[in-house]
Amino acid sequence: MKKTLSIIGYIWAVLCLLLIPITFMGNNAFASMLAKLPFMKVNPIYSGGEVDRTVNHAGFKTTINKPVFEALIGESSKGFVQVKWTGDKMLPPIINDTIDYDNNGIRDFIIHIDTHTGKTELTPLDSHVLSLNISSKVKDSWLARINLLNPAK
Amino acid sequence: MKTTSLYSTSGKLWKSIALTLPMFLLTFVFITGGKPDFSSSSAIFSFVVTFIFFNTLFFLMLYTGKTDRFRAIGFIAMALFFALVFIVNLVKMRGSMSFSNENLLSCEIPFCHIVTTMIIIPIVLTKSIIFPGSILTGFASIASMLVIVIGISLALGRGFCSWGCFYGGWDDGTSRILRRPVIKNVNPNWRWFSFAFLLIIALSAAITLTPTYCSWFCPFKTVTEYEKITNFDTLMKTIVFVSLFLSLVIILPVLTRKRIQCGTFCPMGALMSFTNKINPFEVTIDKEKCNDCKKCIRTCPTFSMVEPGLSKGRPEITCMKCGKCIDECSQNAISYHIRGTPSGKAFTAARTLFLYPAFTLLVVFAGGNIQYGIVLLIRFFSTGSFM
Repeated sequence: MKKTLSIIGYIWAVLCLLLIPITFMGNNAFASMLAKLPFMKVNPIYSGGEVDRTVNHAGFKTTINKPVFEALIGESSKGFVQVKWTGDKMLPPIINDTIDYDNNGIRDFIIHIDTHTGKTELTPLDSHVLSLNISSKVKDSWLARINLLNPAK
Repeated sequence: MKTTSLYSTSGKLWKSIALTLPMFLLTFVFITGGKPDFSSSSAIFSFVVTFIFFNTLFFLMLYTGKTDRFRAIGFIAMALFFALVFIVNLVKMRGSMSFSNENLLSCEIPFCHIVTTMIIIPIVLTKSIIFPGSILTGFASIASMLVIVIGISLALGRGFCSWGCFYGGWDDGTSRILRRPVIKNVNPNWRWFSFAFLLIIALSAAITLTPTYCSWFCPFKTVTEYEKITNFDTLMKTIVFVSLFLSLVIILPVLTRKRIQCGTFCPMGALMSFTNKINPFEVTIDKEKCNDCKKCIRTCPTFSMVEPGLSKGRPEITCMKCGKCIDECSQNAISYHIRGTPSGKAFTAARTLFLYPAFTLLVVFAGGNIQYGIVLLIRFFSTGSFM
């Protein structure tokens, strides 16, 4: 029994010896496999949530994501909706847009962004729209997150 | 009276050289990343220096029988060069060490191994990762870093903290500045604080769905990247992480000669302690050889050697396998051991089997950074700029 344990111990140690080079040399392959697991996605609080729809305008398009009300369990009473504006060639100097974030046919807020200065004004039209969370240039687009109350809570 | 070394390679030149030869290949592969770049004289010079540096360290470990003495040189160099290379790359890419809202919203923040402690509960309950990084693309992607954390945990357990962590070299280095501690007799029970802190961090991250340690407590933001100061909140965060760096990584390690950040505060270290139970390498104490001088207790930088441990014949679960106690024990009573194998035998085999993966890990993380760091230093001294 002692000899068997000893042999197992040495085999285990040799496997560990191989494990370090294998971990790094095969990192891309292992990481690709790991990335396919269902939990390997960035939480919507950070990713901004799934895209709900895109609205085309003259010279730019608006991408509206699904509202995010993330909580550890269930839904939070507060969240946000992420909206992104992408220019056909370049961002317009002024973005003035009216958003119906829940796609119920009723306008929820008006947003006015000066893309040169970053100054952003939000006019809520619905009681569930709270305030501006963040407004920032992201690569060739402009992105804003608007704080919301969860209508389901 | 000094006894002869436990290890059969000690003082044996040819045996030590023969055992270093496989490391030649491993260092070549991992320093160059399999794609040697000899396009400039500085690239060739930095490669040669790095290659000689690591193989000399490994040879000296085998030849002298001392582990920690040479491990520490590579480990501290890794921390310093990692910070240099990381900061220079950030400044090149972003123009500063701080990250902006754009970086956060684009999910471009590199995933550090310490974040692992905060994503476990949310993964279970929300089936998602609470970190603004990329799953698979870009530098230090989430999937890539998780593979590394799992691989190292299985191979070395908490040995990672003394052989692979690119932050650990900071307080390992500062804890060696003074020859004698100014603050003596630090209560070793402080090591349990890191477990309490792990619990606090894991729960607070789960409740707020925010990587709270990264947001508020990580001292190493001082030498890597941090949130741009744009308001009172970010100013407070900056004051906290700089204060933690100065106290836990600089001042207290200097005064106590202990790795205070790693041994009492780091939540990742606490988590990695559990992985000590699922890998074959451990440190054992031969109670018959031990003369109870307690030098190992005084020497251990992480409070892992305590009196109950001496009587049990092994250090605490928090042992980082740095080898400092083994180097210091004049009775040769402490040694690396492979689980399942008989105690008090085959010391050289156990140590050599541990040193190969542990040192390879050091080379993997440190090699590229030291090599590129040397190129940056050459550039700096010849042009006055790192860019």
